[in-house]
Amino acid sequence: MAKTPVPVERAETTLAPAPAPAPSIFTSFFCSPFPLYFSAALLRLGFLLYGLWQDANSPVKYTDIDYLVFTDAARFASQGQSPYERETYRYTPVLAWLLLPTALATGNSVLDAVLFSSGKVLFAAADLLAGWLLEGILARSMDAATARKFSTIWLLNPMVATISTRGSSEGLLGVLVMGLLSAVLARRTILAGLLLGFGVHFKIYPFIYAPAIVWWMDNERMGKPGARKRKVPTGTSRFAQLATFITPERWTLAAVSLMTFFSLNVSMFLLYGPPFFTHTFLHHVTRLDHRHNFSPYNTQLYLASAFPSLSSLHIESVAFIPQLGLSCVLIPLVLAKKDLPTAMLAQTFAFVTFNKVCTSQYFLWYMVLLPLYLPTSSFLRNKRLGVAALALWFAAQGLWLQQGYELEFLGKSSFLPGLWLASLAFFLVNCWILGVIIGDVGQRSKAAL
Amino acid sequence: MRERITYVQKLGDSLEPSAITIDGGKISGPEVHAVREDRLTIALDELPSELRALLKDAQELHIRWVSTTPYEAISPLLARLPPGFHVFFTPRREEAVFTSLCATLAKIFGDLSCSTPAESFTSLPQDRFPHAPALQYFQQLDSLSHFIHYAQDQLCRATDAACLARLGSLSKASSLDIDYDTTSRVLRATATWPYQRQPVEATSRPQLRTEVGILSTDKPQTLEPHEIGISGLLTVLGQDANPSPTMFTFVSRHRDAESSFSARFLRPTGFHPTLQLRLTSPDPPPSASAAFSPDHCSLHAYLTLPRPIFADKYQLADPIFLASKNLSALRYTTQPVDLEAPAYVLPQWGSAVLLDLSPPRAAEKTETEDGRADWTAEIPLHLRYLPPAQGGYESVHVPYPAVFWACEPEQEDEEVQPPGPFERSKLGYDGLFAEGTVFWHVEPRSVEGNQRLVNDVGVPVLDLERAGWVNVGTAVAVAVGFAWVVWKLVGVWRGEAEKKGTQGEKKRQ
Repeated sequence: MAKTPVPVERAETTLAPAPAPAPSIFTSFFCSPFPLYFSAALLRLGFLLYGLWQDANSPVKYTDIDYLVFTDAARFASQGQSPYERETYRYTPVLAWLLLPTALATGNSVLDAVLFSSGKVLFAAADLLAGWLLEGILARSMDAATARKFSTIWLLNPMVATISTRGSSEGLLGVLVMGLLSAVLARRTILAGLLLGFGVHFKIYPFIYAPAIVWWMDNERMGKPGARKRKVPTGTSRFAQLATFITPERWTLAAVSLMTFFSLNVSMFLLYGPPFFTHTFLHHVTRLDHRHNFSPYNTQLYLASAFPSLSSLHIESVAFIPQLGLSCVLIPLVLAKKDLPTAMLAQTFAFVTFNKVCTSQYFLWYMVLLPLYLPTSSFLRNKRLGVAALALWFAAQGLWLQQGYELEFLGKSSFLPGLWLASLAFFLVNCWILGVIIGDVGQRSKAAL
Repeated sequence: MRERITYVQKLGDSLEPSAITIDGGKISGPEVHAVREDRLTIALDELPSELRALLKDAQELHIRWVSTTPYEAISPLLARLPPGFHVFFTPRREEAVFTSLCATLAKIFGDLSCSTPAESFTSLPQDRFPHAPALQYFQQLDSLSHFIHYAQDQLCRATDAACLARLGSLSKASSLDIDYDTTSRVLRATATWPYQRQPVEATSRPQLRTEVGILSTDKPQTLEPHEIGISGLLTVLGQDANPSPTMFTFVSRHRDAESSFSARFLRPTGFHPTLQLRLTSPDPPPSASAAFSPDHCSLHAYLTLPRPIFADKYQLADPIFLASKNLSALRYTTQPVDLEAPAYVLPQWGSAVLLDLSPPRAAEKTETEDGRADWTAEIPLHLRYLPPAQGGYESVHVPYPAVFWACEPEQEDEEVQPPGPFERSKLGYDGLFAEGTVFWHVEPRSVEGNQRLVNDVGVPVLDLERAGWVNVGTAVAVAVGFAWVVWKLVGVWRGEAEKKGTQGEKKRQ
């Protein structure tokens, strides 16, 4: 990716680990893009082929149940019907359209299997594209080889490769968010607006990035000549402050993203009527979320959903306050101007951690942003801290999974106290990690003094 | 009002006419080993007013109650249903609202968890299954005691001990059918008692024509393979001085597969219990050889699953998965079945499921210790969340399925024979097959340690005894986590302010 003439975001390039002086297989792997992307593609192809084999030979399927939902919906769409004819299809029709090739039937069984897998190929390709965009963003503050080294966390991550080749669409979100961030950093406001509007239409949660991006794109940042001089002196009227805040770029971003979002929604509503609205948006607001998941609210919500009249405090109606307060207001305000990528990581982390429902797929939402933060993180600088964080994160999750297994498969009533305490422990570990991430941004801006 | 009392014995067990004593309106005879079936036919205007009002708007109404106690059935009274309380119902007009149906049924049968047909019943698509009733309801009902009280109240005078005792004997019945349809405009109540030793005994009542049949299965030489024969003695009480011998043949749609099965949940059950069916033989019914064509006959399980448990039709669509469970297809399921909702937000009674089993084609069988070739099939099911309760566990009662071989008519336009005198129809599954299909029933047997044809599965729920800290604990944890993150943010913000301050000082210097 060519370097843009705008000022580099991070002054702390030196904090990134320097490449080893002596060339080795390890360093030569990152010298050119080919070995990394080729092995990332090969990894996914391996998983994909293995999945085909397992699906054809084992009663336990490799393919995610969601992929069958998507492809069923695509089949309905290809027959001119509504994708919402498929029960539990809770996504935009765009996803079903993207997977239309999976609904083609040629009569040739090999070709049909390839066509059926085309959606997984799309998701895997989205992974690679997200990795490439990631490398581009990293390369703004470090050399290409180091940038590739860090994008490995995403590109060669077996969890990421498994999720996309099992047919989960989260990889598409990864590429949307990376595309959005790249566009913003490259000051391509219209493209950013399009991606933001589409991202929110696609999966709702990317709306949290809007305040961070808007706050970040002040005149100074957007490379306006003389912006510094026109800085509003303190004590000016609020109206004047507001007038300075509303820059043409902010206008453009807001207008383009809202227009994209609403025109997509209106078109889908005209095409598919109320079911589009019910399943894509309303479902996520009204769902009961009673089935056990990682969310700290889970046990409470199960209790409240069974006795709606008894619960005095409706936690479901106040749970959004800490969640959105952090991810949409406080984190953008404090961090966005210092380090936009890390601010977005922290926002996503807060959104997922404080959400009323939390499953392991959601972890992918912040994992794509992780490589942008790690090079300058105290987790990498202080190895013991890094290992401790990773160990705690996995341990708390492992504890929850063990309790969940006892409940789900052994039929042991582990809701209380096991599962509840495990979810609270996991929540607190996540909060601690989030605090460290936030602290790191502060440390760096102090160091940059 | 008229009544038909029938004793049905096995082949070869017949009674000589001389063994029967007829004394005016009373018939008595020696003890016979038989199934007893009593059928009471009541004209619409003889019914209690609430029932008459209900039936006025019904196209057809069929109630089936089956005992949870295992019982032996004999030809031709072989039709089986999952034990419990079934209602099949077609309203006369589509828009008719039957808000009173559930209330009336509850008045007659006791505690039903049904609110209105629109909410609690499930519908069968009429375009796919034209001869099936439109609406279905099922629930667990262990005893007829409430019905017995209701019937005694309506039919007997308080002093009529014989009448009270007669209805009281329903507590030992194996099944009770109540049928009404607009073509006959009469209500027929049919009760059967298990195959057992019992004396022949009946007394006529005023204003009630009573016909008594003492019959047994017969095999006359002219019998066609698809027919069954019955012979014996018929007497109309108060009218005939002697029993008249009779013999007739008819096509029976319900036959004996001459095998049995048991059902149990594999342990541990968790939230995804598997119901295992163990058949004593996976072979087609031996006596069906002439009528049996592998292309038109298949082995099935018909399940009525109460609300907390369900089958996932998407999981049951994969041939490899089905084959690993010895199943071959999900032929029918109630639609729609919510795959996620907890039991406490669903109004429908549950769902009915018809599965095709895939018995081995001869050879591939495993011999058990006693030399029998047992064969199993597994039905994967899923549990819903139930409301929190004291102790952390709830129990869900899942009735045995009906297991049978179904042989559909070979030609579609084959003339459908008129129903025989003991024909049972509207059983839930018969409407899912072509008309004229013959069902060969596999007998349900209870397993050791469980005397009923019902399996209980434990569902873990949130333990209310321990739930006291949930609200406070969750709130504290969220507050602590939130405060820590905010504190870190404040730190960053103050660092920023300091930085600005230093910069300002530098400038001033």
